[in-house]
Amino acid sequence: MTIASETARRPTSATGGWRSIVAIGMRELRSGLSGFYVFIACLALGVMVIAAVGALGDAMRAGFARQGEILLGGDLTFARMHARGTDAERRVLASLGTVSETATMRTMARTLDGAEQALTELKAVDASYPLAGTIAVAGAASFSEATAGLGAVADPMLLERLGLKVGDRMRLGDLEVDIRATLVAEPDAVADRLTYGPRVLVSMATFEASGLVQPGTLIRWRYAVKQNAAAASDRDTLKALRTATAARLPEAGFSALDRHDPNPQITRTLDRLRQFLILIGLASLLVGGVGIANAVSTFIDKRVKVIATMRSVGATGRQVIGIFLVQILAMSVIGIAIGLALGVLVPTIVDRLYGDMLPVRAELSVAPQSLAIAGLYGLLVALLFALWPLGRAENVRASVLFREQLQTTQGRPRVVILVAIAVILALLIGLALSTSEPKRIAFYVIGGLIAMLVVFSALGVVVTRLARRVPRPSSPSLALAVRNIGAPDGLTRSVILSLGTGLSLLVAVALANASLVDELKSRLPEQSPDYFLLDVPKDKLGELSKFVMDRVPGATMIDAAMLRGRLVKLKGTPVEQVKAPPEAQWVLSGDRGLSYSQAVPDGSTVTLGEWWPADYAGPPLVSFERELAEKLGVTVGDSVTVNVLGRNIDAKISNLRDVKWESLAINFVLVFSPNTLRAAPHNLLATITLPDGVSPAAEADLARQLGRTFPSVSAIRVRDAIDQVNVVFAKIMTAVQAAGSVTLAAGALVLAGALATAQRRRVLEAVILRTIGARRSQILAAHAYEYALLASIAAVVAILLGGTVAYIAVTQVMELDFVFSLNAVFQTLGVAAALIALFGGIGTWGVLRAPAVPLLRSE
Amino acid sequence: MSDPIIALENVQLTLTSRAGAVNILRGVSLDVAGGSTAAIVGPSGSGKTSLLMVMAGLERATSGKVLVSGRNLQDLGEDALAVFRGAEIGIVFQSFHLVPTMTALENVALPLELAGASGAFETARALLDEVGLGPRVDHFPAQLSGGEQQRVAIARALSRKPRLILADEPTGNLDGKTGRQIVDLLFGLRARMGATLVLVTHDERLADMADRVVRMADGRIASDERRVATAPAVRAAVQ
Repeated sequence: MTIASETARRPTSATGGWRSIVAIGMRELRSGLSGFYVFIACLALGVMVIAAVGALGDAMRAGFARQGEILLGGDLTFARMHARGTDAERRVLASLGTVSETATMRTMARTLDGAEQALTELKAVDASYPLAGTIAVAGAASFSEATAGLGAVADPMLLERLGLKVGDRMRLGDLEVDIRATLVAEPDAVADRLTYGPRVLVSMATFEASGLVQPGTLIRWRYAVKQNAAAASDRDTLKALRTATAARLPEAGFSALDRHDPNPQITRTLDRLRQFLILIGLASLLVGGVGIANAVSTFIDKRVKVIATMRSVGATGRQVIGIFLVQILAMSVIGIAIGLALGVLVPTIVDRLYGDMLPVRAELSVAPQSLAIAGLYGLLVALLFALWPLGRAENVRASVLFREQLQTTQGRPRVVILVAIAVILALLIGLALSTSEPKRIAFYVIGGLIAMLVVFSALGVVVTRLARRVPRPSSPSLALAVRNIGAPDGLTRSVILSLGTGLSLLVAVALANASLVDELKSRLPEQSPDYFLLDVPKDKLGELSKFVMDRVPGATMIDAAMLRGRLVKLKGTPVEQVKAPPEAQWVLSGDRGLSYSQAVPDGSTVTLGEWWPADYAGPPLVSFERELAEKLGVTVGDSVTVNVLGRNIDAKISNLRDVKWESLAINFVLVFSPNTLRAAPHNLLATITLPDGVSPAAEADLARQLGRTFPSVSAIRVRDAIDQVNVVFAKIMTAVQAAGSVTLAAGALVLAGALATAQRRRVLEAVILRTIGARRSQILAAHAYEYALLASIAAVVAILLGGTVAYIAVTQVMELDFVFSLNAVFQTLGVAAALIALFGGIGTWGVLRAPAVPLLRSE
Repeated sequence: MSDPIIALENVQLTLTSRAGAVNILRGVSLDVAGGSTAAIVGPSGSGKTSLLMVMAGLERATSGKVLVSGRNLQDLGEDALAVFRGAEIGIVFQSFHLVPTMTALENVALPLELAGASGAFETARALLDEVGLGPRVDHFPAQLSGGEQQRVAIARALSRKPRLILADEPTGNLDGKTGRQIVDLLFGLRARMGATLVLVTHDERLADMADRVVRMADGRIASDERRVATAPAVRAAVQ
């Protein structure tokens, strides 16, 4: 028998091949996933959120793309306020394909006796409507039959409000209409903007006869075009058609849309929501990163003897790192795969639970790019947090095999690892910035998180050192707790880091929420009027004002001219070519309310330039809202072109105004000098503020009388509008809270992992304490003191840091006033205290139950 | 006598701890001839294991010169030491220190794999056959007895045919009979390979089997006794 061949003695390569490293690394994984559960869970959770958000966005986008034609009501639409399309304009549109005309407006529907009334979104349609999709009604054989003659189709909600049913009649404007059916589904509802009231559909002839079509009334005329079946309808073709049509009708002022993006506002909102949620996911992932770092650190510490053994048989530092990197990567793949798999399922779940609330049915179609981004985030975060503890693995000396020394890895990783960490961090920041819009938000989120990690890492070191210097307390349990906090490899640093970061995020989310709630809930009702009156004819204002004052003495009425128009050019540049920041984009798309005024409107302050004299009669002047003017890059002296009633008007900016929007006083982005718009046919917008002490019955009576006397005027009760906002707001809050709870879950995982890190040590310590006579209650007290001290320190700093982050987020990103809510802070801390008690309790229970003999024997 | 494979010159080892500095080795000078066997004995705390660790390059001497196979270990960095150790030195521990997640075969192949040697598993299998564990190559350490684990550890230490074998109390965790079998195996393999063996032991009978017995006391060499022992004589002594 001979010993191995001579090749064994002189190796072919001094460092060994990567294939061997991978093989050894995978072999090492045989010990199972134990110790990696927190690692995998942290990674899976963060990746799941990012993948889910991406998948949901893709699903919605796919839904829009596939259902775009039906949602829009055709291939293309052209819409404008006030002015119906002229014959010349309609001929141009007809050259593109089949055209369908619809008109929508807000008006009051009333019972015939005038006792009940409700705001409704009236829609008048022609015979070719709808060009795409079908309209479903209940109570009549078909939609065309239901709208024939003076027939109307109404939303069941409206009938319920008015106490009417199919077969009854109701009043719209001057006309009595027959309610022939209830509306089940309207294919192009999304294209008609978000509606405030229930829908009523009538024929165009009925609408024309209602007396509601008056010059200046806020009617939106929309022309849907369906091309011939053979015509190309790809994105570029339709875009070219839109541009060409705009060129053929330069003065028309139509807002044109195509089936590829039937509602830019919703698309934009979805995009921003997606960005926001991705950042929440990233925050969870980064908080989870602390858990990843702890898990890797613990894993490496447990493998110290194996590492030392490898070192003793000739493994280089690079090989040791390589062997464990293989394992970390394998675990990352598992965590990321679980996260992606769960994330992909989310759209289906959301669609099943909330499908009816979404503007479009989500379709299970996930773009590989979204999954790749989520996976890449996961991999980068896993490496970012694993590399430091991993890099320290090579600092393990083989001499630990001879001496029972404290078996933990220490020191700093080699320079290559530090450089790799920096590169990965840069890649992560790059990825976050490149996939976020606006980039400022990603920048704030990453900056805030890095600040948190740095602050709490430093705090951990400081607390450990302080604990070593504190004079020994007389209570043995407290002394033990303080000694544990000061122990060189104790829990202190990891608990403070994970708890502090998690708590700071929670405090920040809670305070941002509180500010938002405060903004919407407490400020609005205090300063807002009780009623908005739409479409008050100019010549009826005096009469109406007297009518209100006679019935409710002490009521105040404010009025303003109200026209709709759209911005066409800024400083001579067409708005389509103006590069506006996302938060100012809405001003440029679609039509806006415009007004004119002799004096500075209430709730406004001129900050730059001069207001025009009362008798001004020169070229058109306009006052621009300051913030938006700054975002759009225009200032005093620049020219602005608006299209009103199919006519372009050039005006010069004479001043900028600060506007207190939240007061709900009448105010507009653009207010013109009176001579500019006075001649255009228009109605007035008015507000009524009732004096204190008006009974609900008196208020209801006023509204009823108002409706009866002025049938064309629509009165919107502000409280109802606020309730509407609150419903939407509650949904948004649910989403934000769900997202916040993901961060909380990440924090809880990290905390559990941090406590598990030192569990082995703790068990041994408790066993020794018990053998020398410590009672269980003493050990329990020591642990309670330790956790309470650490949690209190972390909480105090978390309130300060989280508060600062929330302050910056609220004032800089959300642009609201910051409100510090102690209630929100205490609720958050209460949850945290419960979590610490739970995880700490489970850990201590394990420690106290551990049998002593096997431990003492093996050590 | 052939050239020394180990040449220690006035080696000092001082370890610092929170309690202060402790002088572990206080000026040890020692030459070990290539192909010979040497036993280091002495009471606990005399510095014998530390001396072995210095020879293995696992502990860096505070001062003095440590030459192994002509290389001054003091000049080598951590990784260079690891590569040197892998090629030149095989170490056998009292507690075996096998990787628990790897089979006997994989444990023995590990140094070869790390060195990128071809035929790692064939070599490892041959070695395990040689130490009498042919039928148990696929067993994990936990499935092996103490004696079997130490056989695996010896096979691993010898897998790269080192010139120098260092053994720290190789029979310390084994019963008398198994211990004697392990010693027989270790000395037999060493003789066949022509390697140098330095072992640390408390066991005087084991020490007697070496060509030379170095006695340590308080970090210094107290005596250095050279014997004339041959392989058959060793056998006789052990049996």
